[in-house]
Amino acid sequence: LVCSSGSCVSLRRVGTWIESAENEKTEKNCVSVCVQEQQVAPSRNHIGRVNRNCHTSSILTPNDKENAQRMTREELTEVILKLLVAWREPLWHFEQRLRPQSLETSDRAAQVGRMVHEVRSGVQRVAQKMQMLGMIGNFVSGLSSPEAQAPSESSEWQLLQNWDLLHCLRRDANKVQNYLKILKCRIVPEYGC
Amino acid sequence: MFLHIPTKEVKPYELSLNTSHGTSLLKLACLCLYRKKQRGAKMKEMGLLLLFFSVACGKVTGLGPPGKPTLTNCRSPEKETFTCWWKPGPDGGLPTTYALYYLKDNSETVYECPDYHTAGRNSCFFNKNETSVWVNYNITVVATNKMGRTFSDPVDVDVAYIVQPHTPENVTVNVMEDEGWPFLRVSWESPHKADIRSGWITLVYELRSKMEGEEEWEEHFPGQQKTFNIFSVRSGSSYLVQVRCRPDHGFWSEWSPTTKTKVPKFFLGRSLWILILVFSILVVLILAWIIYMNCHSLKHSILPPVPGPKIKGFDHQRLKNGSYKDGLGALMIPEYPPSSSSNDDDLLVEYLEVFVTGEQDISMEEGKEIQDHYCKSESSTCDSDSGHGSCDSHTLLIDKCKETSKDELNSNCEDASEIIELEISQNNQDEKTLSYDGRPDTCNGRVKTWPSVFTPLPQYTLSAIPQKSSLEIVKQHCLSDTLFPPGSMSSNLVNQNESFGPSYWEFSLNSKQLPQIHSQSSKHLQAYSDINISKKDNEITTLFKSTQYVEVKNVNNKDMVLLQPVESGSQSHAEGCPHVHQGKDYSKVKGVNSDKMLLLESGVNVMGQETATCFCDKSETNHKHPPMQTVLPVQEEQKPFAANGYVDTATMFSVPM
Repeated sequence: LVCSSGSCVSLRRVGTWIESAENEKTEKNCVSVCVQEQQVAPSRNHIGRVNRNCHTSSILTPNDKENAQRMTREELTEVILKLLVAWREPLWHFEQRLRPQSLETSDRAAQVGRMVHEVRSGVQRVAQKMQMLGMIGNFVSGLSSPEAQAPSESSEWQLLQNWDLLHCLRRDANKVQNYLKILKCRIVPEYGC
Repeated sequence: MFLHIPTKEVKPYELSLNTSHGTSLLKLACLCLYRKKQRGAKMKEMGLLLLFFSVACGKVTGLGPPGKPTLTNCRSPEKETFTCWWKPGPDGGLPTTYALYYLKDNSETVYECPDYHTAGRNSCFFNKNETSVWVNYNITVVATNKMGRTFSDPVDVDVAYIVQPHTPENVTVNVMEDEGWPFLRVSWESPHKADIRSGWITLVYELRSKMEGEEEWEEHFPGQQKTFNIFSVRSGSSYLVQVRCRPDHGFWSEWSPTTKTKVPKFFLGRSLWILILVFSILVVLILAWIIYMNCHSLKHSILPPVPGPKIKGFDHQRLKNGSYKDGLGALMIPEYPPSSSSNDDDLLVEYLEVFVTGEQDISMEEGKEIQDHYCKSESSTCDSDSGHGSCDSHTLLIDKCKETSKDELNSNCEDASEIIELEISQNNQDEKTLSYDGRPDTCNGRVKTWPSVFTPLPQYTLSAIPQKSSLEIVKQHCLSDTLFPPGSMSSNLVNQNESFGPSYWEFSLNSKQLPQIHSQSSKHLQAYSDINISKKDNEITTLFKSTQYVEVKNVNNKDMVLLQPVESGSQSHAEGCPHVHQGKDYSKVKGVNSDKMLLLESGVNVMGQETATCFCDKSETNHKHPPMQTVLPVQEEQKPFAANGYVDTATMFSVPM
């Protein structure tokens, strides 16, 4: 899913533990949002570019396999929920921002927002169930954290350009997907791991 | 080095860009032109040419900074390490070194590639410690030589999106059988470096196959599974199979090395052989069955079945089964007597007519032709002189016969007989009430035979009686009549002499009784009427009863008939004699009136054991005498009865009761 010169966000439904392996060619659950790559401002030095600072960079996430495996189930669950919660508002605003430009893109952005919401609520329910069953201990649901970080973050993501926003979104979605897979294979390894 | 100046003129725009030779040639060319210029040829053209060449010389010779390298691609096989390759630019003729620098994710720190050699020439390998996923790497390659250095265009790399696994391993293809048809089962393993177990990477697979010699591949997508079946396989051909894989966000791996399999010719699985066997057995069975069916019809056509013997009205099966216990029963057909709707042709409806004619002879008309002992007793007119014995054990009948005309008698007899029959059946227990005056009833001059069944109940199957219809009883009765040998009837004719007058009558009662109900002793005559006519020397064959009979004992010298009551008990011929003589009504001759009628009066109660005349054997018959004797005057003139001793009571007597 490659846009002409933009970035595409493909989000897969991770509602349930069992992920359906889909053929790349028939990405039913994939929503592609394309935005035009903005004119990059001339870089200060030709070595580096304008760095993107995603508003979720403050959330500590494991960036390699060892670190991810070292984390406990509860911590993983927390990270997942934090990420998902953090994207609720930015996506809404993103949609609003796109509306005057292109209705279609705005609709797709809205669709993306709904999918993220679905994933979040699903994960929340599963995590609560697991907690009930004793599979995991206490974890922070992540609902309270956005309020704490809201003021600082709100400015950050508003500054983000559309294209950068999509980049950040794509990365975070990939993270969430991977963490969920790790969690699944740790708890129920018989489900296709 | 020694330059060899070529004799021919070197054109200025011929620039060979070869290595050192080339550059030297250029140098020489430039020199030559310069020299020409100094000779003062055409100055302007020379100047331009010079300018041109100087520039060209400067560039082509690479005596300058190196060309710009380009990063071709960066790949990670397992999302834990990655490698970047670049393509070096044209070098400036000087030895050039390349260096790779990268920036991580918005930081300003510049790092250099840790490993240039592992991945080969012009590559950089990032090991596990160096690799961070979901981090933006900004990579640049720098080419450096003595003249300067050149930077490549920077490239942003996120390890998460550049994963390209190795090819799947251990691809095996087996030829298997499914219901007799072959198919290929392909199985493989994930590349050993990719960590699927922990869920770090998720791989999907793709498979392709083709028959050897084909152009097009047939593609299949097993998804995440590691086995796959290919069913469209032909026997005797070779097949080529390849597998590759891809992570959910990433690049396809290379195709695995081709695995070749040959499907053997004439591949028939075991199940197919079984199927063929079963089918052939079925065919054989069907053929056998057809032959068998035809065989039957052939048999029928060749050997037609012989019809078995058939006797109308005769039930073979019953005979065979042995359910007939006696010979008589064998001749019996259960459905007889047929209903009125039955075919009369099959039956010989017999009238059993037994009447007494002549000398103690009982003539029987048509009696011998009884087939199924169907007989009908016909009422007979009462003749005055017929001398026919009457069979009647009931006074009722007697009365009727007496009082009515002949015609009426006929009809009445019939009725009376029925009535009497009924009475008999009702009064089975109660024969004593029958006051029989011994008057023989001759309806139509014929003996009415009544089944002795009615009378001797105590000894014989009581139960049998009610079951039988009166008609049957009559039947039996009649049968016994027929079987009754003429002349076998014994009578206690006291005398055959003429002294018997019509005024007396005699009859004897046999104490003996033939069982008639018995099916076994069917040969025995069924006792019937109370009148048994017997000769002196004849046996007493029939007898029955509960009715009280008076028998003539003898005739005394005064021409008086001595009567004696007969014991009521009945006995079979075989059994011998029993009986207690019970007190019963009997008739007692009172006298003879002027009308030449024998007056009888009923008396009660004779007792004495000795009164029982036991007729068990003939020898006794004449010995015993009942104590009571009645005397009947005899009138000689009238012989109301025939010599056989029957008395026409209708005309002769009146019985006061």
